[in-house]
Amino acid sequence: MDWQALVLSLQLAGVTLLVLLPLGLWLGRWLAYTTFAGKAVIEALVVLPLVLPPTVLGYYLLVSMGGASPLGRWAAETLDLRLTFNFTGLVVASVIFNVPFIVQPVQRAFEAIPRQLTEAAAVSGLGWWPTWRRVELPLAWPGILSAMVLTFVHTMGEFGVVLMVGGSIPGETKTIAISIYDRVQAFDLAAADRMAWLLLVLSLGAVTMSFFASARLAARR
Amino acid sequence: MTMHLEVEQAHPLPLSGAFQCEPGELLALVGPSGAGKTSMLRVLAGLVRPHCGRVQVGDEVWCDTAAGIFVPPQQRHVGLVFQNYALMPHLSALDNVGLPLLHLPTAERQRQARRWLDQVRLSEAQQNRRPAGLSGGEQQRVAVARALAREPRVLLLDEPFSAVDQMNRQGLYRLLADLRRDMAIPIVLVTHDLHEAAMLADRLVVMDAGQVLQQGPPAAIHRAPRNARVADLVGIQNRFQGRWLGPCGQSGWGLLQWSAEATTAAPAGDVPPPPRLRVRDKGRIETGQSVHWVLTGDAVTLVDRPAQAGGEFAAVVTEARPLGDITLLALALQAVPGVVLRLTLSGPQRLRIEVGAALTVCLDLGLAHVMPVRGR
Repeated sequence: MDWQALVLSLQLAGVTLLVLLPLGLWLGRWLAYTTFAGKAVIEALVVLPLVLPPTVLGYYLLVSMGGASPLGRWAAETLDLRLTFNFTGLVVASVIFNVPFIVQPVQRAFEAIPRQLTEAAAVSGLGWWPTWRRVELPLAWPGILSAMVLTFVHTMGEFGVVLMVGGSIPGETKTIAISIYDRVQAFDLAAADRMAWLLLVLSLGAVTMSFFASARLAARR
Repeated sequence: MTMHLEVEQAHPLPLSGAFQCEPGELLALVGPSGAGKTSMLRVLAGLVRPHCGRVQVGDEVWCDTAAGIFVPPQQRHVGLVFQNYALMPHLSALDNVGLPLLHLPTAERQRQARRWLDQVRLSEAQQNRRPAGLSGGEQQRVAVARALAREPRVLLLDEPFSAVDQMNRQGLYRLLADLRRDMAIPIVLVTHDLHEAAMLADRLVVMDAGQVLQQGPPAAIHRAPRNARVADLVGIQNRFQGRWLGPCGQSGWGLLQWSAEATTAAPAGDVPPPPRLRVRDKGRIETGQSVHWVLTGDAVTLVDRPAQAGGEFAAVVTEARPLGDITLLALALQAVPGVVLRLTLSGPQRLRIEVGAALTVCLDLGLAHVMPVRGR
């Protein structure tokens, strides 16, 4: 069992979620409430990481964030930051490929809130913060929760993009999914088996829990 | 605190008109669906910003597009009861009513919310339930309590009775009557039920296609609708066509030729000449013009004698539909082929009437109201 890889994966999933959640809530809510010309283009861009082969996405991220690219040079010169083959690069890549997993469920959750309810809140004198805290958040919560679980679990298991952008540096970019591949390549099937099982149980458990929570919340209405 | 509203816009949906409502007065906006009734309420509540308009309550200007003033709904103190109540599904009745009271400390908020729910007669067990655990009528009373907890300067009700059965309706009518007595604020009610509007409202505002067509006390609108469309909208059944023949010599009275269609051609052959009626002349109609004219139910009676000149006509019953304590009658007049006269009968008289019976109707033509037909 590669504990270092497991911890790294958990860290990556946690940081990704932390960065992506505010962005996903904002973008999902905005897409749910607004209509404008060209909205379909934005929605298509949001879904793109879902349909693109991970190696293709990883390739473009590698090319655009590498040391030779303008973005990579800028990050190195102004922020003193390298964006490939390290943990920071993994986080950036992970945030990008998880966008559909958080934005789509959040968007659906906010779309499902009847407009009349937020109007009733406004007429009752509630400003944006009380409306958000007492009306929108509780009603959208099941969707937000499942978005969070999906993103977390998906990050834990991502392989292609991570390999392209991060390589396989132990303690820096070698996540559990890569470690499993590594072990299989080395014919250490026993270790691969244990890690695969762990990932399977974790994923199934998290998704089941989020479904239970959503069902319970829905039943309370 | 009188409420004034004035709107004029063509986009995104046409809306134009002006009305006002005094404290303690109940104003009903009536018209078919899509007439813009709810849009007017939304302008009042501040949920819609009109292209051009003005809303004033007492000396507070809530909206004045000319002066660039727009007070958001959060600062308007409007009590709005939504058509489907718009109760928060995740909050108890008590917490729903507590929403407009969030500025108060928790204990005081709960105390006041309970007081409002007691006033709309919700039991303590019901007060702790979520909307899904309440009947339609109970949900509606929660919505009314929430609107009142806002301490509104105007109370707006959007089709409040549409989703409630007849028994609950009676209770809500009483509640509304109590509110009017106790609160003394302008109340605006949106409804498509004319009977309800006429029963509850001091004044009606008749709307169609986003426009205010006419306003006034229900009886006045029924007696003298401004045009044929208003007559149809307020459910006047006896609307006829004819031609205005001008003054008849006696001051204040004129002659109306009654015909089934608004033709100016002379009747051909053996058809009897259309009857000429002596009706009130307000001097507004040109001689020879095609007109619509209406007669309220009060102006039609059945009499037991042969038809005499001046407002009495021989008729045959073509339809008799008993409905509980009343019977709806349709009569064909021999003097004006093609015309159907409708009236509602109650009392012993209706028991003798069946389809095919010949009888005499007496029309009180002093109550007839004549309107010019407008060219499109």
